[in-house]
Amino acid sequence: MKQVICNVTDLQPGEIMEAEFDRKSIVVCRTMDGEFYAFLNRCIHQGAPLSKGMLCGTSIDTDQVGEYDYQREGEVLRCPWHGREFDVKKRGCMLANSKYKLKDFKVEVENEQVVVCK
Amino acid sequence: MKSKIENQKLHLIDTDIHERVLYEDLITYLDNPWKKYITDCNWMQEKHMPYVQPAIAGVDRADARVPDGRPAGTDLEFMSKQLLEPCGHEIGILTGALDPSPSSMHGWYEMATALASAYNDWQIENWIEKDDRLYGSVHIAAGDPAAAVREIERVGSHPKMIQVLLPIDDIMWGDPYYHPIYEAAERHDLMLGMHHNEPPIYFGKWPRYFIEWHTLIPTAHMMQVTNMVFNGVFEKYPRLKLMMIEGGFTHVPHLMRKMDQQYKDLRHEVPWIKRMPSDIIKEHIRFTTQPLEELTKKEFLQLIDQMGTDELICFSTDYPHWDYDSPFEALPPNLDESLQRKLFSENARAFYPKLPQIRKEDA
Repeated sequence: MKQVICNVTDLQPGEIMEAEFDRKSIVVCRTMDGEFYAFLNRCIHQGAPLSKGMLCGTSIDTDQVGEYDYQREGEVLRCPWHGREFDVKKRGCMLANSKYKLKDFKVEVENEQVVVCK
Repeated sequence: MKSKIENQKLHLIDTDIHERVLYEDLITYLDNPWKKYITDCNWMQEKHMPYVQPAIAGVDRADARVPDGRPAGTDLEFMSKQLLEPCGHEIGILTGALDPSPSSMHGWYEMATALASAYNDWQIENWIEKDDRLYGSVHIAAGDPAAAVREIERVGSHPKMIQVLLPIDDIMWGDPYYHPIYEAAERHDLMLGMHHNEPPIYFGKWPRYFIEWHTLIPTAHMMQVTNMVFNGVFEKYPRLKLMMIEGGFTHVPHLMRKMDQQYKDLRHEVPWIKRMPSDIIKEHIRFTTQPLEELTKKEFLQLIDQMGTDELICFSTDYPHWDYDSPFEALPPNLDESLQRKLFSENARAFYPKLPQIRKEDA
């Protein structure tokens, strides 16, 4: 199944939007490099609408206690409720523990349109 | 009446025995001016609580006073007769009586350093080198980490010194200020032991009654575990392990879950932590059993199940204190023999690398 969600220009790098796909609410994310990603719009923790959260960066893993290194701007989707972080570029894996992940969908760009596939 | 634990020979590794020094004995291990501050100026360990321990004989079991009138815990021969022989101790780990407690001092770290050295020398000479079964804790003056490191270097290589002891008062030991202590401990294969002294568990103050304070001691232990884990001590010192002494363990399933849940939400605040806190606890932290709540076998096993492993808890008597746990009576009856073996000895043996790694009866 394929469905056109929006035009490429409808979503700028660093932005997220809610859409409907296969009668389900999804969140579409556009990372800073222009790529598109889509996930079920429901946090795996308590079901919060991820589209109301934030696409941002994070303090990546460091080896020194007390060292912060904020990176990956636009690649981390944070839940609007508890702030859990999901890796947009790694199929929605939770940053704290990669054994948990969001339901993700394949996204293609065809004729300047964003198409979600199942 | 039969004991709950039937096999009388337990091969016990007791993870909390309180030997006590008399100041008149300690001063022979001190130089001046430190000695004179005790003999002439009546220096005493600072204490903070507004109450006494309102048991029948203060902090001690009423029957543990030495027959010649000296306080409980001061005489090896009596301890052996009352505790080590009847309970079948293979090993007893000495944790001091927190008097003196150099790391509890909120100043005068030079005096604290001298007291720590004197105590260690007294402990080595009068206890661990006099009885094969007994192993010791390195007392330090943690308020001056450089001095504490020097003391660890001085006595830490003693083959029967197995841990560095830190009291739980109002200092959070995970702070990087104290990390040199952990580096030195790791260098000597010493683990850490934390035992509460007088933590003010009511918002930095004291509850009205002793019973409230004594009920809530585990909260002070929870603070330290949380602090040590999230301050990255075990990521920085991967061979270091921590024994939480005399806080019991029934709070541990809750704490593991709470820390994991918080980590899932707030990982970005502690990016040097790269795995679930409960996994860090399982690898690096153990908990002594005393003071055991009265639990049915079912309740006891449920708590172990909630921790995800039966290797986190180690039996302790807390001898000679009033809230002593008998190894024959404190645990619920009819636990599997393999579980008993872990609780009574093998979990502790696996934790302390400087203990004999082969059980005495198997050697």
